[in-house]
Amino acid sequence: MAQIRVGRPDTAPDAPAHTPGVREGNAKGAYRHQAGHRKDDTVDARKSTGIRPKDRNPILPSMPNLPPG
Amino acid sequence: MAITEQQSAAARPEQLVEMSWDPITRIIGNLGIYTKIDFANRRVVECHSTSSLFRGYSVFMKGKDPRDAGFITSRICGICGDNHTTCSVYAQNMAYGIKTPVLGELILNLGEAAEYMFDHTIFQDNLVFVDFCEAMVKDTNPSVLRRAESTEAPRGHIHGYRTIADIMRGYNPFEGEVYKAALRMSRLTREMFCLMEGRHVHPSTVYPGGVGTQPTPTLFTDYLTRLMQVVDFVKKAVAMNDDVFDFFYEALPGYEEVGRRRILLGCWGAFQNPDVVDYRYETMNEWGKAMYVTPGIVVDGELVTNDLVDINLGIRILLGSSYYEDWVNEEPFVTHDPLGNPVDIRHPWNQTTLPAPQKRDFNDKYSWVMSPRWYDRRTGEHLALDTGGGAFARLYVTALSNLVDTPYVRATGSGVQIHLPKGESLPETTLEWRIPKWSNAIERNRARVYFVAYAAAMAFHFIEQALERVRAGDQKVFQDFDVPDEAIGVGFHEAVRGVLSHHLVIRDGKIANYHPYPPTPWNASPRDHFGTPGPYEDAVQDMPIFEENGPEDFRGVDIMRAVRSFDPCLPCGVHMYLGKGRELRRIHSPMFGADHG
Repeated sequence: MAQIRVGRPDTAPDAPAHTPGVREGNAKGAYRHQAGHRKDDTVDARKSTGIRPKDRNPILPSMPNLPPG
Repeated sequence: MAITEQQSAAARPEQLVEMSWDPITRIIGNLGIYTKIDFANRRVVECHSTSSLFRGYSVFMKGKDPRDAGFITSRICGICGDNHTTCSVYAQNMAYGIKTPVLGELILNLGEAAEYMFDHTIFQDNLVFVDFCEAMVKDTNPSVLRRAESTEAPRGHIHGYRTIADIMRGYNPFEGEVYKAALRMSRLTREMFCLMEGRHVHPSTVYPGGVGTQPTPTLFTDYLTRLMQVVDFVKKAVAMNDDVFDFFYEALPGYEEVGRRRILLGCWGAFQNPDVVDYRYETMNEWGKAMYVTPGIVVDGELVTNDLVDINLGIRILLGSSYYEDWVNEEPFVTHDPLGNPVDIRHPWNQTTLPAPQKRDFNDKYSWVMSPRWYDRRTGEHLALDTGGGAFARLYVTALSNLVDTPYVRATGSGVQIHLPKGESLPETTLEWRIPKWSNAIERNRARVYFVAYAAAMAFHFIEQALERVRAGDQKVFQDFDVPDEAIGVGFHEAVRGVLSHHLVIRDGKIANYHPYPPTPWNASPRDHFGTPGPYEDAVQDMPIFEENGPEDFRGVDIMRAVRSFDPCLPCGVHMYLGKGRELRRIHSPMFGADHG
């Protein structure tokens, strides 16, 4: 360590970071568990709404499903 | 503010005057330039560049969760923080063994392109050009202004100003038309940035493994409509810059010597090619060369390497004039890279920052900035590379490497062709930046405006690719990952003002070592232990003075032009100092488990 005087740390460096027991958004498998995300990188209406999502899908299979916005 | 101090009797050569500017204004952070000027021969004899700012990122990053790195290092800078986030994401991607999905990568590229346009424009038109505006030139070189009044602007049909002096008046701070138009442009380009990265300047939607930006068609069309408003401004800006800079060469013969130094340039590459990049160290050479701004090192006008692995292994952090203790006796973190090549103890992966505050002494230690150098295996030299303010090195390396070939930007081997579509008032235009003879203040400044055009052109390319994917239904912008217990990573990117690298070592799932190396430590470095001066010092030392004022009312405009051409950004130059009056409060943060530590 350097020769400069420093005070005692008030907190651990990773205090605001992850707390064991809390689900991590980045954890492997998180993407698969999110509704509406398909394996081929496309999505369906379940990504945007939980209310009768099937009715919100494109009317033709060849049309892309794009989120409102 | 200039501080003048006449030296005592026996000074040789005659009329040696010490002049210092500390702090230098119109840049970020604390930079001091201390010079000795020989007014009899109108030449700068000696120059020291110093910074009194210590940050300590590499010290307090230790022990933190690596996923926080992008958010913390973003705070290094108040203008190019997103470059740090992006670079940190690149380094983390390598450490976690993941890659950003194609659409996510395009969104990141679009955000960074907007940042280059924003930052270069505000620095060039609102800060650099104050040194070239009518008010300044009138004050420092009245004869040049008189000549400008009668010199027709060769590109007047593009920008609409009849004489060079008219352009200079446009750049007068707070009043000039161009000055005000540039501020409006920076608003537009920041909006473009916020669309892609959520917030300027500390992005809220950029994470390792991807972005949180929703890839809706509206997102891209909102960006595109703003980009279309920017293109004509860029075409005019390039024409005005060329006119003014060509005029300076003509009106002040020998002006190419201002800020001139040996051509020693480094560029670490920008705009990842999403189809090639996999963030693996082992394939870094391939994906590095596929970047849309080619990484490389140029020495004396010749390309030395494009290989990011070579670039990485050659980085050395030297001491000599910096307020730090040596770390050679500390434990190295990475002895060999993933390819089995030995890694030097002076490499950022192995660096331990040991601050040793002390009095400033120009014969010994005088700056908080360290001296990053690049070790040239061919000659055994430790090269003091500069970034030429970022744009200059990027264009130089991309042009020489001749690898970039897109419908909008194409390298030719001796230059870079930039194609901009038709805008509101100006037709389709192809601009060409050609490799200049010198690495000097004017060429660094000229390159900056050309790189704004480069970024705008690349943005068109990225937006076309992104819209095509969205039309096909692609909506994937992030990838999940687990943080490994042990890993290393490195990110190479271009901050707006030049090379940016983040070196990361993870142990026990936490940061064991983290060293961001932004452009300013390279440019503002003091003399290293070999005695090699840093680029600012080198560029200013032995520079001729063209200002007409004498020592009494000396403004130092030529020196300021030389230093500002590097786009100094000192908060990133040095790695917080809490002195007396230190107050630390611990406040409740409404987060489950926050008190667990």
